[in-house]
Amino acid sequence: MTYTVEKAAMTRLPKDGLMDMAYRHRVLLSAVFLLVFPLLVPFKALAVNILIYGLYALGFNLLFGYLGLLSFGHSALFGAGSYACGILLVHYGMPWWAGLLLGTVAGGAMAGIIGMFAIRTSGIYFAMVTLALSQCVYYIFYQATGLTGGENGLRGVNVSDISIFGLHLYFVDPVTRYYVVAACVILALFFLSRILASPFGAVIEATRENEARARASGYDVRRVRLVTFILSGGFCGLAGALQAIHLSIVPIETMHYETSGLVVMMALLGGMGTFFGPFIGAAVFLLLENVVSLWTVHWQLFVGAVFVLCVLFFPRGIWGSVLHWVKK
Amino acid sequence: MTVDADIILRTESVGKRFGGFTALRDITVDFRRGAITSIIGPNGAGKSTYFNLLSGAFPPSSGRVFFEGSDVTGTPQHRFAHMGIAKSFQITNVFPQLTTHENIRVAAQALQTCFDMWRPRAAMKQLSEVADDLLVLVGLDDRRDRIAGTLAHGEQRALEIGMALASRPRLLLLDEPTAGMSPEETRIMMDLIVKLASERTVILVEHKMKLVMGISDRLLVLHHGELLAEGTPDEIRSNELVKRVYLGKREH
Amino acid sequence: MWRAPLQGNSMAGLSLELIGLQLFAGLALGSVYVLLAIGLSLIFGMLTVVNFAHGAFFMLGAYVGLWLLSIGVNFWICLVAVPLIVGGFGLAVERVLIRPLYGRGIDYPLLLTFGLSYIIIELVRIVFGKSGYPVDTPALLQGAVDIGVGYFPLYRLFVMAVTGVILIGLWLFLERTSYGLIIRAGARDPQIVRVLGVNIARVWLMVFGLGCGIAGLGGLLAAPLQGVIPEMGGPILAEAFVVTVVGGMGSLLGAVLAGLLVGVVVSITSLFAPEMAKVAIFALMAVVLLIRPQGFFGRAGLMS
Repeated sequence: MTYTVEKAAMTRLPKDGLMDMAYRHRVLLSAVFLLVFPLLVPFKALAVNILIYGLYALGFNLLFGYLGLLSFGHSALFGAGSYACGILLVHYGMPWWAGLLLGTVAGGAMAGIIGMFAIRTSGIYFAMVTLALSQCVYYIFYQATGLTGGENGLRGVNVSDISIFGLHLYFVDPVTRYYVVAACVILALFFLSRILASPFGAVIEATRENEARARASGYDVRRVRLVTFILSGGFCGLAGALQAIHLSIVPIETMHYETSGLVVMMALLGGMGTFFGPFIGAAVFLLLENVVSLWTVHWQLFVGAVFVLCVLFFPRGIWGSVLHWVKK
Repeated sequence: MTVDADIILRTESVGKRFGGFTALRDITVDFRRGAITSIIGPNGAGKSTYFNLLSGAFPPSSGRVFFEGSDVTGTPQHRFAHMGIAKSFQITNVFPQLTTHENIRVAAQALQTCFDMWRPRAAMKQLSEVADDLLVLVGLDDRRDRIAGTLAHGEQRALEIGMALASRPRLLLLDEPTAGMSPEETRIMMDLIVKLASERTVILVEHKMKLVMGISDRLLVLHHGELLAEGTPDEIRSNELVKRVYLGKREH
Repeated sequence: MWRAPLQGNSMAGLSLELIGLQLFAGLALGSVYVLLAIGLSLIFGMLTVVNFAHGAFFMLGAYVGLWLLSIGVNFWICLVAVPLIVGGFGLAVERVLIRPLYGRGIDYPLLLTFGLSYIIIELVRIVFGKSGYPVDTPALLQGAVDIGVGYFPLYRLFVMAVTGVILIGLWLFLERTSYGLIIRAGARDPQIVRVLGVNIARVWLMVFGLGCGIAGLGGLLAAPLQGVIPEMGGPILAEAFVVTVVGGMGSLLGAVLAGLLVGVVVSITSLFAPEMAKVAIFALMAVVLLIRPQGFFGRAGLMS
């Protein structure tokens, strides 16, 4: 399966210098967009949600879009970051930045554990095994009420003041909150861009393109998959940790497999294997949810239908189609 | 066993079973360094199975494989490129959506780094130069920036050989390198193989016996999963058993 | 170790009879898994499609049964009508939605059926409401019978018996009919079937319908055991995936044995450590993946 719209620009001399320039400065352009974005959205809380889910989808996209491995267990990675951050803040009184950092690590660690088993399979099996293992993680977190709050969620993840290098910020203010989260997301975009442009990024592409050839060329495909899965877990873990401090609570639904399904939908809607597609997907999804929920409670019917139509007629997704159209 | 510098690869009574079916039985062969050795045989003789054992695609069910004197039986496939063995596949196997240049560059990168995720790959100029040199060698320098999947069949096969060469192998394994090629493409490929063999050992599997008679130093003839004959082209040509297998088909 | 005395107490209460009964309960639960897993396996083996809507079809079977019972249809007629209705819906899904995706990569049908499950669940919510219902055990099947180790609910025996009948029927169909021959050949090598000039599209259609129909029957049978709720297909889908991974994808024998095994593991674990019952299933899968990644009866090559 290939969702390789942008990659062509990296490996082929583009006909069009403007596209090339846009491609080389993709992190900067994305950053500028994210900085003006809240001016376009009516509610700042929604804008923060879009950032967080966009980051979550970005992590998922690294695995599915760039490596071609479909996971249905990403809720466990997102949730691991969220709970790690929440538990460290609530039970251990750690500062917010430690929560974000260790949440990122926890996402990667959870990916490492799940990956150890799931990476032994590939293709269609991978989706099933990751779904099953994430369900297992859900039950474990559900049972560990002392640490996670179980069914009621982990409450009291309160962050009100943030000080960075002597700069004091009032995190409860929605605009401040947006820009703090945006800073984290832009940092993540920068890291992702570095990874994609690195030698390892080339290995990821090659493995997606032709596993047997990658192996014959001397790459340990299984380990490439595991490392990419762990990286993906790191991004998703950070997204989860950000959600914990954004919501001030970690609901048990964070771990639910519907959270895995959500990211599959967002990423496909935005455009698989494109750099900025996941954010477009998250934005469109959440904005639609907001609008459609106003006139019907049966939002899921609408989501399912849009997704099915997307798979049938629109597999490039929104951003992928835009890039495809621009290149023509 | 003693290490003989003239022997690059040795299979010691290797066999392969798939379930109840025995595809290959008890084959002991020494492959000489610097030679072109062709593995021939009719369809279903076990050529491809043997090739896959040599190239590490799967381990033998019995017996051992030695490369330059060390036992490589059961070594994972991805280690082979690092040891100095490279292969091309029977079915064309490139990275179809990457450019021709990037195909070889990625293959060459395997010797240097895999998990480096910070340095920009554009900074690794030397790899790019290696890829350019190999493009010239396999005659694809004018296709440098084409997407590999859009190349003609013969060009893709040449590209695959370029990718195999990127790991600077001492032993090059080619599985039916001319399969599906036009006579013109076949001629170009044969010339390329002879050129490559001047600097490294080549083992190739070929279905068409005539094609490899002229270029091979040694031939192995497989039949029904067993080694039927081994020798120089002249020896094989005059071998009664081989004649019966190849000519026998006409009597039916 | 602080729990040792408490454990000692509960251990004392565990008689061999109780374990025996629990084992039977496990087999009954396993029967439901088997019904889901054989459908999944059959569909995968033939179409290489992982049906992510399989849990939704299971739930649909339960709700169609509930509806038929509520309008006064006899339970025994439901046993035939529910798989036919759900299977018929499966036919339509394959024909209209999945067929256009063949040849477009293995992930697309999976994604599509995933989206479809959202639609089915929400439609059921619209028609039947968000909250669940309990379902009565059919009058004839209420009560318990002595099975040697103690009294065991009659209905659970019935579930096992129906599963047995389905399996025998399926076996006869696959072994003794020309359709079955085609399916077996097609699961091994679709190319052969095409060469033989068989209309493979129609075989795929039938297999998908059959798999969905059996899942629907599973839902109907499970309804009196656990009640119905629109979300009931989700967890059981994950568990059915475990069964197919443990048994080996595409293997019917594997699906049956692994289904029963998983049922027994859940049931026995819930006797000793109820809070670990759900986790035990996945631990089993993890162990199998480490030792034999292709599952009990899976072919090694199928994994990649």
